[in-house]
Amino acid sequence: MNVDGVLFALLAGAGLLTAIAALLAREIVHTIMWIAILFVSLGLVYFLLEAPFLGVLQLAVYAGAVTILLLFAIMVVKKRIFSKEAVTGIGVSSVALAVALATLFTLNASSVTPPNGGRVYDTTLLSVSLFASYGAWVLALGFVVLSALVGAVYLARESRGRRIRAEGE
Amino acid sequence: MIPLDELLVFSGLLFSIGIFGVLTRRNFIMLLISVEIIMNSAILNFVTFSAYSPSSSVAQAVSGQGIAVVLIGLAATEVALGLAIVLALNRIIGSVDVAKAMELRL
Repeated sequence: MNVDGVLFALLAGAGLLTAIAALLAREIVHTIMWIAILFVSLGLVYFLLEAPFLGVLQLAVYAGAVTILLLFAIMVVKKRIFSKEAVTGIGVSSVALAVALATLFTLNASSVTPPNGGRVYDTTLLSVSLFASYGAWVLALGFVVLSALVGAVYLARESRGRRIRAEGE
Repeated sequence: MIPLDELLVFSGLLFSIGIFGVLTRRNFIMLLISVEIIMNSAILNFVTFSAYSPSSSVAQAVSGQGIAVVLIGLAATEVALGLAIVLALNRIIGSVDVAKAMELRL
């Protein structure tokens, strides 16, 4: 078994374990920590699959934006984030995670072979394909995001009837 | 090179875990997270089949990655809308338990 297979087995095992742990965790903040690790391992799998742009996008959008959005929602919704405020072991586990990721990257940097017989995927090709043949899709995605923004603002605002009722009281 | 069947099994297992979460959890935020896991398994399938495409032209093979880019954008949009719904639910019924949300109207 080559290096890619071993790395994928490690990443997939970590991903499955963290997905199960995320669903079984009692604290919802722990769920979000586990899900962030799942997103990071999926991003590394994309790097192994010769899709570096998607890997970066996964890290930025999922491990970055979505995780922080979920944390903000919990912060707004819950009065107390943790049931016990002092949490032990986060520092140690983050150092362990950093060491594990560093070893993964140094292992991976030396011996990456593209799958499927040496065909190398280029980010330039992806962008050309994205804006030449999928240009309408990208435009439609922009409109979907815009309308979702309007919808989110509409949903999250203070409701009008309630405000009138509160002023009347 | 990663074996194709291992990738597909991984994606299928992630999908099943997400389905389990959707069916068993009642917290709305947990539902959103489970849906995210399902979306991620679908995106992983697109990237996998893009890498294993039998087509010899790179431009055709890379189109799976283009669809994955669009899907990641859609998933992020869905999370933003879902969290707006979480805020509205919390304001109206005072909790994020979907079993307590029994009326469709706000």
